[in-house]
Amino acid sequence: MTAKGKIFIFYAIFLGCVCFSFRSFSQRTDIRGFMDLSTFLQDDKVSFGLGEQDLFITSELSDRFSFLGESVFKFTPNTPTTFSVSIERAIVKYNFMGNHNLLIGKHHTPINYWNDTYHHGRVFFPTIYRPLLFEANIIPLHTTGISLQGQNLGDLKFGYDLMVGNGLGSNDVLDNDNRKSITAAVHIKPAEGLRIGFSWYNDEMAAGSTTHDGKLITWDVRQNLFSPSIAYFGEKFEVLAETTFASDHTDTTGTKQTFAGYLYAGYKIKERLVPYFRLDRLHYQEGEILFDKNNTTSIVGGIRYNINYLTVVKLEYQHEQTEIAKDINKVTFQIAVGF
Amino acid sequence: MLLLAVGFMTKTQEIPLTVIGNVTGVPSAMKYSELISVLKGQKQRWNDGTKVNIYIMKTTTPIGQSTCKKIYNWSGDKVKRYWLELSFSGKADAPIFCNTVEELESYVSQNPGAIGIIDRNATSNGVKTILIDGKNPF
Repeated sequence: MTAKGKIFIFYAIFLGCVCFSFRSFSQRTDIRGFMDLSTFLQDDKVSFGLGEQDLFITSELSDRFSFLGESVFKFTPNTPTTFSVSIERAIVKYNFMGNHNLLIGKHHTPINYWNDTYHHGRVFFPTIYRPLLFEANIIPLHTTGISLQGQNLGDLKFGYDLMVGNGLGSNDVLDNDNRKSITAAVHIKPAEGLRIGFSWYNDEMAAGSTTHDGKLITWDVRQNLFSPSIAYFGEKFEVLAETTFASDHTDTTGTKQTFAGYLYAGYKIKERLVPYFRLDRLHYQEGEILFDKNNTTSIVGGIRYNINYLTVVKLEYQHEQTEIAKDINKVTFQIAVGF
Repeated sequence: MLLLAVGFMTKTQEIPLTVIGNVTGVPSAMKYSELISVLKGQKQRWNDGTKVNIYIMKTTTPIGQSTCKKIYNWSGDKVKRYWLELSFSGKADAPIFCNTVEELESYVSQNPGAIGIIDRNATSNGVKTILIDGKNPF
């Protein structure tokens, strides 16, 4: 038999084994989508806005392997079609023991409750917009890397995430330096609907890197983020309070600290009807190098109505006061759907 | 009037529920609190390492409605929302929602580690009835 023939037989046997092993496991794949539309009044002008269209895929690949993918189609002005597609999450999970998992891929950095729980589909958001600490790029929303995750351990339902990934200034396919970002997060769920957590994020940005919002950094920056978090979603009350203390150090400027946080509270008048408010605060120390200093306070008041579990409407007023721009007063109506 | 009364009774009556499980992985007796924990997706594997697979009746069926009330103490909509949120945060695999008791029992019989809730004792091969706090139905 020729070498080509042997190779062919080898591949035929290999493929046969692969096909057999997949046939013996009934793969389950779920595909879902989310979308939101809004209309808002700002500066005496009414606008209609298309939100992100979110495509979700979860798939059980085997008894222990599973996949989660999240792709977003969104308005992006500087492209030929004015829309772009981005991969927001792509995770292969391996459940190696009990409630302990190994995950590899692009994650929502498990830095706080909001980022770890909600995705780009707006139907689950308690408010229309994300808190300012997300919009201001204080925390790294995504990290591409590898993580260990445990959840619902013991009576307190202890959970942990330990992640190593491409650091600040990197992209999804290449790290820009030798340093890796480290995220360590723990939480407990001592009562129904209650979750208390804390996380630490550490990274170094090499000189010449760009931040999440495209700002060029000309010094090496060592960053530590400390994020306590408390979430309670009960039968009547909803409370979500999260802060991040950012400590950014350079040899030239020393250590500068930034505080970002928000407090959300809602009260269920009925199961489907929730009036709510949110207070956001961003405070930057003078001389901060990683972020543009723009101390901001925002107050949001709104009402949310769940038409059903896949259709939610919200009406919201936002007043935002910033250091470097004029005040914003905005009324937004949004319908968010899952399909 | 009789029809109205029957309709009213049907709506408010809580159906006695029975927990069934595949003979592989699922224990023969559980505490009620443990059952709730399992059915909320807080346990990924049984003690022998078999993966937990959850099967419940569609929330529009009477058994499904009783399951929502008795296990989750939520409306059907809230149960579906809970699972959608949990599965897409990557924290758990959503249950399979079944149309009929026969379909559910068939799934449970075919999948090691499968647990489900119906309104009668298991009749299929490979399926056993699980005692909850020593009781069946519970």
